[in-house]
Amino acid sequence: MTFLEQFGQAAIVQVEDAGALTMQFWSVLRKLPRILPIVGASRRWHSTVEQMFAIGASALPMAGAMSLCTGFILALQGASELRRFGALEFVVDLVAIAFTRELGPLITALSVSGRSASAIAAEIGTMVVTEEIDSLRVMGLDPVEFTLAPKYLAALITVPCLTILSTLSGIFAGYLFLAFSMDMSLRIYFQTVAETIVLRDVAFMLVKSLVFATIIVHVGCMEGLRVHGGPEAVGHSTTAAVVKSTFLIILADLVATAIFYLMGWSSLG
Amino acid sequence: MTNSTAVKTGDAVISIRGVSMSYGARRVLDSVDLDVYRGEILVLLGGSGSGKTTLLKPLLGLAKPETGSITIKGVDITRCSPSELGAVRRRIGVAFQGGALFNSMSVEDNVALPLRELTRLADSTIKLVVWMNLIAVGLSDAGSLYPPELSGGMRKRVAVARAMALDPEILILDEPSAGLDPIVSAELDELILFLNRSFGITILVVTHELESAFHIADRVAMLYQGRLIAADKKEQFAGNAHPRIRQFLDRHPDAVPRVAGEEFITAFLRGSKT
Repeated sequence: MTFLEQFGQAAIVQVEDAGALTMQFWSVLRKLPRILPIVGASRRWHSTVEQMFAIGASALPMAGAMSLCTGFILALQGASELRRFGALEFVVDLVAIAFTRELGPLITALSVSGRSASAIAAEIGTMVVTEEIDSLRVMGLDPVEFTLAPKYLAALITVPCLTILSTLSGIFAGYLFLAFSMDMSLRIYFQTVAETIVLRDVAFMLVKSLVFATIIVHVGCMEGLRVHGGPEAVGHSTTAAVVKSTFLIILADLVATAIFYLMGWSSLG
Repeated sequence: MTNSTAVKTGDAVISIRGVSMSYGARRVLDSVDLDVYRGEILVLLGGSGSGKTTLLKPLLGLAKPETGSITIKGVDITRCSPSELGAVRRRIGVAFQGGALFNSMSVEDNVALPLRELTRLADSTIKLVVWMNLIAVGLSDAGSLYPPELSGGMRKRVAVARAMALDPEILILDEPSAGLDPIVSAELDELILFLNRSFGITILVVTHELESAFHIADRVAMLYQGRLIAADKKEQFAGNAHPRIRQFLDRHPDAVPRVAGEEFITAFLRGSKT
């Protein structure tokens, strides 16, 4: 094969990937109303609740602990520099802003990606291998509505919630540091935090977390559906799901942050 | 369009005409023609890699064949609209090789699933239908179990019960006896015969198990390297002179290619044993 052919082949694969992702996203979006409680089909929201536990609730300890540690690390690192200027109290701003805008959503997304992107890919991949997906289709049930949509909805609800909680725990770690090093009271600490963060930061955090949630569940589902052949293919797909979703999260974070910066939203006040 | 294809098929509920499929450059199905007649049990035989599982994909509308047409109950499912395909699928029950049960649901819920999703029956009616289907497959007391707690034979029975839930006219079974011990496999054969004789369901069984095939079949068809090499009443099939069929029926292995230096290796292995 010539270089040109190889290049073209690779390009076709990428375009196919993008196309598959877009089509999957569209078909899920169309099915989302069907799985809502009350307006949707009966009982369908049960599986969304199940997924919310699997994707969200059980990731809480891990995401919380990671944020707590990172918050403390950030405070320590920041303090060692800021102390030289006698500006130790700016650790509050550092931790609050870094977590709301950046680390809260990112750490949450990475921990959910590690747990759930692989779990989703494994679950769906196994369903493909054991012909459960085929069997749904043959029964006239839509696999998208039945298995994919609940996962999307669950991720879109729980990941922002997780992000808020882990951001809070990261900011709380900053308090722990300042309480030890300069006896700052909890009241004053959170007052400063509240003065530092503006609504725009919180909105940015939530938008980011929604984007990350979509990436995680989207890549997990796609890799799962792509499984061909025997059970060993499931293993490959779980690895691919984690690697791809992690990479895409970082990439999306970069793009989002760049937009935020270039639009001039990042300046204070 | 669908009506024009419905002519000439006579009493065939499924008629496959000139269906070909390939995986990449490899041709797995080569213009297969096959009819399944109303009320019969047709067993589709074939060795591993003969294309028999591949044939199920276009038959169930899960893949489009490259050429040819598949007409089920007068509807050409390779060319019909999604809603027509849905209507045809309602008349077909499928039990997949591994059962394809949903592990997060109990046996009852698995069987009830198509009823709950596709009909407007009341809960109490659904319960009754599920119970009757489980009795028909001999699992009336296993309703509250979950698929991982079931044995291989039970899983296949549940799959059959689920396939029967919507009262299909056609039942398609993929390798019903694969991986089962002879007793359980024989029980499953009896179940297939029972469903056919008492409800008049047309049954297509895909398998490579000779004994069970000849026990249950009205007609036997055989695929070899993607081609249909025979489709006959089982008595005629047993007398077929096609070398591949003879080989399959008499269980002869393919000739093993000789390797250079084989004698030496054999002698060496013999020597090392003593």
